[in-house]
Amino acid sequence: MARSVGNISQGNTAIIGKGAHVRGRISGDGDLRIEGGVSGEVAVKGSLSVSDGAEVTADVQASSVTVEGAIEGSVSANEAVTIRATARVSGAIRGASVSIEEGASVSGKIEADFELPPELSSGKGR
Amino acid sequence: MANTIISHGITVEGEITSEDEVVIQGTLKGKLSAKDAVSVEAGGVVEADIAATSLSVGGQITGNVTAKDRVDLVAGGRLVGDVKAARLTIADGASFKGNVDMDV
Repeated sequence: MARSVGNISQGNTAIIGKGAHVRGRISGDGDLRIEGGVSGEVAVKGSLSVSDGAEVTADVQASSVTVEGAIEGSVSANEAVTIRATARVSGAIRGASVSIEEGASVSGKIEADFELPPELSSGKGR
Repeated sequence: MANTIISHGITVEGEITSEDEVVIQGTLKGKLSAKDAVSVEAGGVVEADIAATSLSVGGQITGNVTAKDRVDLVAGGRLVGDVKAARLTIADGASFKGNVDMDV
């Protein structure tokens, strides 16, 4: 079924644009950038980025995940999860490493190996 | 660059709605409606009904398509399904099976 076509590069990033909404499941090998809305499920083998302004209501899974927009659902990555300042995430986050910038709002469990910055670790026990 | 791109290797099962242009190089099963141009490029496989302002078919589509403006089947394109559009072109090397309604 898969034909190799000259003008299609394998490493293309798939994009769900600002004005677009996907209801259902997105899966596959490549990278994915979500600028619009997705509700359902996302599982890609490449990297996933959720841009500022994007609204994702889905469990997402990718090799690495960068979030600038909103995600309602679990986030799971084999490698790094990066939560940028503009992001809102409600759901469990799991990754080999998880970084959260100041200003981001996160509610949910975080599973990763990381050290809390001193101001946080002194304030709260866990 | 197109607003929404379902690239090679990516599969969407479900419904895509878009205000802007959509390019399918990968696989879509479900439904697609766009308020702009849609193009299914070579290598793209679509099993879905499509509604758009215009549609260019260089890949494979199984489903009924409706375009406000036009549908262009380019060489290598394959469409199985009914077409409803004001204009339809079928290039040499394209294949098509279905009914055409040009709304006359």
